[in-house]
Amino acid sequence: MFKDILFGTSASPAGDYAARVAFELAGRFDAHLRLVHVLGVPSRGFSYLAEDVRTGEQVVIDDDYKAWVEEEIKTYYAKQLEKCNDYSIHVCVGHPHREILREARNSNPDLIVLGGPTEENEGSAYKKIVAGSTIQLVSKSALCPVLLVSRPAASFWGGISSVVFGADFSKASDAAFKFAKKVAASIPGCELHIFHAMDIGPVHTGLSLSQEEIEDKIREARKKIRHKYVANLEGFEKYSMEVWEGLPYVEIVKFAREKQADLIVMAYSTKDVDAENARLGSNMEQVIMRSTCPVISVNRKMAKN
Amino acid sequence: MPEGTLCNKQTVDTKEYLNALLADKSGKQYYSEMEKLDVDTDKLWKSIKSTLRSRLRTWLEICAHCGMCADACFLYLANDRDPTQVPSYKIQSTLGEIVKRKGKVNNEFMRMVMDTAWSKCTCCCRCGSFCPFGIDMGIMFGYLRGLCFSQGFVPWELKIGSGMHRVYKAQMDVTVEDWVDTCEWMAEEYEDDWPGLAIPVDKENADIMYTVNAREPKHYPEDIAEAAILFHMAGENWTVPSKGWEETSLAMFAGDWGACKMQVEEVYGAMHRLKPKRMVVTECGHAYRATVIEGPYWAGLKDGRPPVESIHYVEWVAEALRTGKIKIDPAKKIKEPVTYQDSCNYIRNAGLKNVAREIMSYIAEDFREMTPNREHNFCCGGGGGFNGMGRYREQRNVGLKVKLDQILDTGAKLVISPCHNCWDAIRDMEEVYHAGIRWSFLKPLLIKMAIPPDHLKVEE
Repeated sequence: MFKDILFGTSASPAGDYAARVAFELAGRFDAHLRLVHVLGVPSRGFSYLAEDVRTGEQVVIDDDYKAWVEEEIKTYYAKQLEKCNDYSIHVCVGHPHREILREARNSNPDLIVLGGPTEENEGSAYKKIVAGSTIQLVSKSALCPVLLVSRPAASFWGGISSVVFGADFSKASDAAFKFAKKVAASIPGCELHIFHAMDIGPVHTGLSLSQEEIEDKIREARKKIRHKYVANLEGFEKYSMEVWEGLPYVEIVKFAREKQADLIVMAYSTKDVDAENARLGSNMEQVIMRSTCPVISVNRKMAKN
Repeated sequence: MPEGTLCNKQTVDTKEYLNALLADKSGKQYYSEMEKLDVDTDKLWKSIKSTLRSRLRTWLEICAHCGMCADACFLYLANDRDPTQVPSYKIQSTLGEIVKRKGKVNNEFMRMVMDTAWSKCTCCCRCGSFCPFGIDMGIMFGYLRGLCFSQGFVPWELKIGSGMHRVYKAQMDVTVEDWVDTCEWMAEEYEDDWPGLAIPVDKENADIMYTVNAREPKHYPEDIAEAAILFHMAGENWTVPSKGWEETSLAMFAGDWGACKMQVEEVYGAMHRLKPKRMVVTECGHAYRATVIEGPYWAGLKDGRPPVESIHYVEWVAEALRTGKIKIDPAKKIKEPVTYQDSCNYIRNAGLKNVAREIMSYIAEDFREMTPNREHNFCCGGGGGFNGMGRYREQRNVGLKVKLDQILDTGAKLVISPCHNCWDAIRDMEEVYHAGIRWSFLKPLLIKMAIPPDHLKVEE
């Protein structure tokens, strides 16, 4: 399923949960694990000084410094690397999302693993250069699925027996469906739960829908699911479909809990990575932060590919 | 004559020399060698005699020491009106002394001159507009930097910067291949959102040839993608050159006039090769000054103009908004109070003040002017290379206070800053002083506000 996994790591406790999943997956699928660490963020105008993301110090980054950081990473992940047969470490300087995408463009991995959202824009070295968080920007532009692990509970990657596909009927969602189906079909006995959360908007605005309207919309969504997804299951039988109304990210997390999901697959559909929205957290980021299992994001580019 | 291996009078023309400089962390060895560097006084005097023309000689002589320039200088104001920060004092005690002594100055003196030329003047030229005689200390410090560079007394980062231009024809180590690949990458990355988006390289006879700042391909190529989106939205016939795409000139900040000429001729070469109708410069102030204002003289062009009509990005934006090539959704105009940072290099020194106001009239509902503004605006605090030199970090941070106060006095929390240097300075200002301000180039804001033509609307 995966032959080349890119793990974007801060080599710090913030990425520990994601690390656990990345190493586990690489072992399970006998994949090459590519640890990418963006060690410094350029600062001071045109100068070659960068702020080391681990120490917070202003440093001039040269080959010696990179070699030293590489050693640090090896020490940090010493236990996991002992059991990992095929890995490489790449350290670079730049803005994290851009350098992860650059490395992905060069190495063409079939999965990118990232830790969950952090308070990275609040005074740490990862200063904002463009709107949106690293997760949003990588999820939006990557040419392969992006697996996001935020909570400790999400990192206990056992066998996969239950996959939840969060459908939103977009083009990206078509690609996400194909990927979710591929994962489920590749694992004997795995269930695929197709789920759509219908946004009924904030109740307090007074614009809430009547119950008839909600039920009409649910019927409509179920029809769409049958037409777009169930019709394309190609003989895969262990599936279910549900449509719930409410606040989408809450409903997805609740549904995944009910189905004891080991993985949520969702589409990254929006082109907007607006700074304010990023601060509040997109639907995707909310799910990542709250879910007890890893979340895989699939974007529109994959629909094309 | 103790010439150092790193600090010497040589220009940086090879990758080996450049890498050796980069490997010298924070210029430790470089500055230590500088303490022993001899001054070639004969060469210095000879150079002054052949290059110190009548305008600068007159300026040095007629200064009446009236002090009118003092309050014009943001560094004087930021440093509690320290008399040694009065522009006329700063230039008289450095260039004035060298001329008086006919170039007979020693190492210690030259180090003082270097520190003054790069940490006490950003060449913003504000003092020149307040001097009753029109004496422009910024211009004189620019000249003085050239003298310092030729003697090897130049801050470490700028020795590297000018070397980058000599070796890579760009302020950073971005090769032609890197650049072209980055353009392809950005077109690929954004074409799903903007159908038909392309970044045409080396297209001849285009209406626009677009040039950038090397930091864009190196660290934030989104900026190139955003420029492409806006040109695409406006239906422009445009291109970027594979060679001659770098518009900036750290060589100008360094006083390396040889490298200035090399760099600008690279851009003019692209103009000759591709024959565009116009050139548009990215949102960068000093790049515009270097290539459009000063460059023609470095390249020996008698009419003082680049080979094709060249405009700053703000001029293109104003035109696109004025003619309706880009339409702003009235509902998406900036509602919050917003202010505009007038870059010295294209506002005070190139007269584009009204263009900036025109843009704001289309995109902002509550535009707040800083005081003073337009050609009288203060330097952001990071111009002339000030942002990038570790040796003068503290002095730069003190200097930022004047701009910070100006911004806070407007009541706006958002600063539009179509200049890389100003943008950096304002970002650093927030990092140092935690004032709660935000800053942006024009491009990302325009993309959010524009109404895409129907054929570019994408179903999500």
